[in-house]
Amino acid sequence: MVKNPDISPQHTEPFAADLLRGHTDTIVLGVLRDAESYGFEIYKTIRDATGGAYEIKEATLYATYRRLVKDGLVEASWGDETQGGRRKYYRITDAGRAVYQQNVQHWTATANIINKLLNVKGGTP
Amino acid sequence: MSSAGNHSIHRLLDEAFGGVSMTPEVQDLKEEIRGNLAARVDELADGGMEGHAAAAQAMDELGDIRELVGEVAGPGPQAGASAPAAALDFRSLHRVRPKPAYVVGVVIASIVIAAGLLFMVLGATGVLPLPIGPVIGLAGLASTGAAWIVGDTLAHETTTNYPVSKDRAGGYFFATLLGVYGLAIGGLVALGALPVWVVVFAALGVVAAIVLFAFLGATQTNRKKAWVREAAREYQGQDRFSQDPVAAARFGIYSAVIWIVAFGLFAGLGFMVGFGISWLALLAGLAVHMVVLARMLFPSGGPGAGAGTAGKVPHS
Repeated sequence: MVKNPDISPQHTEPFAADLLRGHTDTIVLGVLRDAESYGFEIYKTIRDATGGAYEIKEATLYATYRRLVKDGLVEASWGDETQGGRRKYYRITDAGRAVYQQNVQHWTATANIINKLLNVKGGTP
Repeated sequence: MSSAGNHSIHRLLDEAFGGVSMTPEVQDLKEEIRGNLAARVDELADGGMEGHAAAAQAMDELGDIRELVGEVAGPGPQAGASAPAAALDFRSLHRVRPKPAYVVGVVIASIVIAAGLLFMVLGATGVLPLPIGPVIGLAGLASTGAAWIVGDTLAHETTTNYPVSKDRAGGYFFATLLGVYGLAIGGLVALGALPVWVVVFAALGVVAAIVLFAFLGATQTNRKKAWVREAAREYQGQDRFSQDPVAAARFGIYSAVIWIVAFGLFAGLGFMVGFGISWLALLAGLAVHMVVLARMLFPSGGPGAGAGTAGKVPHS
């Protein structure tokens, strides 16, 4: 894929990849909020949403799907494609929506607190 | 997708999954990754990339899946779970959701069947003043509905079966149509709405349907999915007789004793009391035989009993 040449993700990414990685489950739940989707489509949605600045490895995503399915936050089912590659679709459950909303609330509250703490002496974030 | 890209994906995937024991869960993951790789290769091909290169790049982007594969293959899917429990787990793993269009189609077909049958019977019995032509038409409508459900259902993938080809599904559609239509016409004859000689056409339809069904059945290849076959094999391996030859031998001796006694009683009762009630001896023999079979296959307090009741599977 075409990567943004200004950003070389491995070395000088201006964000904490670890911090983002901790929210992979919520990010995937967020993608599935509107419509059911399959692996590559979810990957592409995340990739395109950040303009290519951040992409979650597909291998990581498979682990996420398995975890979400196990926790009942997402349901998996095979699509009925008669030709071409078969696709496994994921659909968010009501429990998944609840967890998503909760996680977003937690993140917003945490981000506010951290922003305030980092701005204690009027510095800019 | 280009066939070159497709081929490359298969090869690269086989390499990535090399040396991993192929449990249904691993197979499931491989299948999922294959589908997603195919989608990515399609995207790259739209951008003008050639088959093998596209496959290689898609595979490269996938990242390292060894760890994931090892995790999935690792402890084995359900250590200690009974085969039916494992089958249920696999069933949820491989669930195929019906397409909305299919569900709508089946509902409409069901309504058509119900309405067609209702008005056909009302017309045939004279409750509704319908001429015979439309009544035959209604029978055809109901038959088409039934045939539609059969054909359309077979043409769709299910959790346990792959879809049959469109042509074959069409064959099942036609066979069902002939059979049900024949039976419906036969029913109209029975209700007195059609003259008796029409039953020849009804019989022709039913016989043709049987011949067609027999042909389709005889030429049908295996549609069961790999995980279903595996679960079935495991389940067969779980029956006690194949694992415990002593139990099997004991059951054989018990059976011989039960039936010798039963036949002896049958003959004795027959000569002394009369053959009117002597068959009860055979019935009692069969009942005892079944109880013994159940006791031998599922011993109370044995390992089989524990696995059966402790699992999350209801006995049904």
